Amino acid sequence: MSWLDALRERARNLFAQQDVDLDEEIAYHLELETSRQIANGCDPGVARARAVARFGNRRDVADATRDERGTHLMEGGMQDLRWALRSLRKNPGFTALAMVTLTLGISAATVAFTVLDTVLLRPLPYPAAERLVYMQELTSKQSLRPPSYPNFVDWRSEPKSFDGVVSAMYPFSETVWPGERMSEPVRATLLGVSRRFFATLGVKPAIGREFSDDESRVGGPRVVMVSYEFWQTQMGGRQPLGTLRVGDTPAPVIGVTPPDFRFLRAADVYFSHEQEPGTIRSAHNYMVVGRLKTGVTLDAARAEMARLSQALMSTYGNETEAANVDLKPLRDYLVGDYRTMLGVVFGAAALVLLIACTNLVSTQLARGWAREREVVIRAALGASRARIARQLFIESAVLVGAGAAFGLVFSAAATQAVKKLGTGLVPRLNELSVSGRAFLFVAAVAVVTSLIVGIYPAVRLARGDAGLVMRSARGSSVSVRTSVWRLLVGFEVALAVVLLVGSALLVRTLHNILTADTGIVSRGVVTAAITPREEDAGRLDEITRSLGSLPGVDGVAFTNRLPFTWGDQSGPIRRQSDPLDRNWPALAGFRVVTPEYFSVLKQPVLRGRAFTSADRDGAPHVAIITSGVAAKLWPGQDPIGKAVATNYLMKEWLTVVGVVTEASSWTMPRGSQHEIFVPLAQHLQSTQGQLVVVLRTRGDAQALLPELRSRLRQLLPTSPAQIGTMDERIAKSAADRRFAMIALLVFGGIAVCLAGVGIYGVIWYIVTTRTHEIGVRLALGATSGMIQGEVLRGAAAMALGGIVVGAIAGVFATRYLQSTLYGVSRLDPSMYAVGAAIALVATLLGALVPARRTSRIDPMISLRGDA
Amino acid sequence: MTRDTGELLPGTFEMLALKALTLGAMHGWGIAERIERLSDGACEIQQGAVYPVLQRLLRKGWVVAAWRATENHRRARYYRITPSGQRRLDAEIAWWRRSSSGIERVLRAAIQEG
Repeated sequence: MSWLDALRERARNLFAQQDVDLDEEIAYHLELETSRQIANGCDPGVARARAVARFGNRRDVADATRDERGTHLMEGGMQDLRWALRSLRKNPGFTALAMVTLTLGISAATVAFTVLDTVLLRPLPYPAAERLVYMQELTSKQSLRPPSYPNFVDWRSEPKSFDGVVSAMYPFSETVWPGERMSEPVRATLLGVSRRFFATLGVKPAIGREFSDDESRVGGPRVVMVSYEFWQTQMGGRQPLGTLRVGDTPAPVIGVTPPDFRFLRAADVYFSHEQEPGTIRSAHNYMVVGRLKTGVTLDAARAEMARLSQALMSTYGNETEAANVDLKPLRDYLVGDYRTMLGVVFGAAALVLLIACTNLVSTQLARGWAREREVVIRAALGASRARIARQLFIESAVLVGAGAAFGLVFSAAATQAVKKLGTGLVPRLNELSVSGRAFLFVAAVAVVTSLIVGIYPAVRLARGDAGLVMRSARGSSVSVRTSVWRLLVGFEVALAVVLLVGSALLVRTLHNILTADTGIVSRGVVTAAITPREEDAGRLDEITRSLGSLPGVDGVAFTNRLPFTWGDQSGPIRRQSDPLDRNWPALAGFRVVTPEYFSVLKQPVLRGRAFTSADRDGAPHVAIITSGVAAKLWPGQDPIGKAVATNYLMKEWLTVVGVVTEASSWTMPRGSQHEIFVPLAQHLQSTQGQLVVVLRTRGDAQALLPELRSRLRQLLPTSPAQIGTMDERIAKSAADRRFAMIALLVFGGIAVCLAGVGIYGVIWYIVTTRTHEIGVRLALGATSGMIQGEVLRGAAAMALGGIVVGAIAGVFATRYLQSTLYGVSRLDPSMYAVGAAIALVATLLGALVPARRTSRIDPMISLRGDA
Repeated sequence: MTRDTGELLPGTFEMLALKALTLGAMHGWGIAERIERLSDGACEIQQGAVYPVLQRLLRKGWVVAAWRATENHRRARYYRITPSGQRRLDAEIAWWRRSSSGIERVLRAAIQEG
């Protein structure tokens, strides 16, 4: 035992001894007073009770005496702290409830702040990230396009505003053999990057180096870099790094990116796209980022790029579409779309915190009223009102401080959960961590919360006239007091209704997105992306038959890309009268399909026919277009038999044989997706070795996946497949909304629980303070059912006010959700009805427990109690 | 609201307790009883309240306490006023006289003017 422990032990003994002494003193006191009462002629049976009554509350006296002890060392603060701790210990139920309330409120706010801070506020994880700008072509029609390679090269070499301009292509997947020898192949995501890509971003490879200038030119040696995660999981973290086989080419691995590195898109393997540069100035295939020189403003860079664009336009004329260059800070490009959503989430968390505070204010008030006698005794003993106010305030501060501490621990855990759930749903969530700023935020929240929670009840209680309270009959001013309280609880209900309406709208939105008519029937569709070798191309029929024989499979088709994955990859399509290089009537995705594609996806053929097995190599080349393309190319005419060309098949004229409905893209913003289809049998080379098997299944699509996986492994042992259901993909596309919905649901749930707790508190107080009145009424013949009904009606009335106010507030608050909603009006009355109904149910549940207490009131006891 | 019972004026309890102890060392109950008896019941106090006050007086060094046997052979904690307690009492009494006579004058003047 250390000397410190010894000292503590002695101090404890000392205090314990003093407590024993005090007990003895009080016992003797009561004895003496009892004998005096008897001496004064009091009945011995009553004398003891009288003595006790004259003495006052024994525990209050002991507490007050203890407070006076030994405080010359730590006058004031510590004493108040002890008083606060003791009074919290005396009411474990209240203390626990207050802690849960505060912990929930503070955690909600902290987690929401951490997400907001990580995604929106914190700089990107690159040195001097504020100088990184995202650059896009701006057409003469003011629409944004990804830059082409030739334009990127000019942007890199000409301007003086940048320390460097780099580019990356859109990632694609490829079969990679990660082992030293012929090992199991895996499907990896590849990302082509330009020279000095990592140096310009300011990222140092964890191991090795990045591509040299020599490796970043046509004809340079073929080498690759890998991500840290790929290196760890697929290459066993081996050193030296050795060689990978990518597709058919072996490539030495020269470097490993730092852990968690993720630029614009996640990738496993990096290569230099400058070994096979793009040549067409109007092919929009690159993502371009520049690093501004120190001291160069964004506006100066914009001006320079505008001048450069002018010069390029005059040199290349119609070859380039970049009338100007759009520059925006990289962070804005990455997370700009998420600003509203994260604002909504944070706002919701703030409302939860506000409800938690309100709850605490009201319970503190109630406790204060219940403790008035204690306060009065202290006042009579000479404690100043300021001192009492301070003590009450410290009590609140202790609660809030402990709540903040729990909240911090809880939110650290919750943050990990959010990171796990949210990575991939929201950009940058993989960087999520509780930062120093979040700590500061919690501290600020705690201070503000204790100010809100502490000051009002403290002032309110300390102002009360001590003498008046002491003698006033119980319950005489209940109605006055509860009016403030009812207001607070009504306010909580209103806030909860706002959150519930928001949640309901988002649930509806997500449901709409998942079940929306996309023009095809996605339910039950399974896809598998494969990379067959050239010699497998002739086996497609065999593969189709084999997969078609799997139990539960109704149809099998092949295409070159997953349905709905167009994004930036649309190409111009032309009529014969249109010029080759400009003024295209439409852009459309290019899809190579087998004849069964339309029936498998249930994409209806509106005119003409679907492809048949007769559309094979050697037969006339045909195409099918979507209705949107038909409307743009031949408005009001029959497109069947017309000739059409796409930039994906340069200079080849195809005959339109059919028009199908246009599948809408399910990524946001939703819109129809123009597509042009050609038969796989006529354009095998256009698939570039990438194929997607599309299967229509009966019953549970998910259940088919393992069997499909093993069958594909048998059929194509060298081509690992990426397998998934269409529904999963659609769900993933609504990920940001799902994230907002989950957040609002959680916060809405917490809010409505807290409001229920608030109602519970006020009803409990009313019932307790009216025990006498209720006793009288029971004695006069009222049934306990009547009384309970009355209590519940009172609670409902209290909630209804809040619900009305909340619904009105919701009309305004949901404006912030507007851009997030899909297929539901923010003013949809049914959504408000749902929110109101849930709030009402929570209210009644909260009121039910204390209301049932009334049935246990014994009229005789409650009447005698007040005598 | 009438003030029919003898409620103590705030801040006067210490003075009365010290005064009670000038009559000789006494235990808690005895002090409460003395105050009530000497005031003819005008100063009716919540008896338990003497203990926090005595604790405060102890801490300030104005009284000391010791366990002693009582006349009926029980053990009781007796409080005794110290010289510094006596000085404190004198100062309190002087303050009380000054302020109460001031209050008294105001009340009388009010009657005359009324």
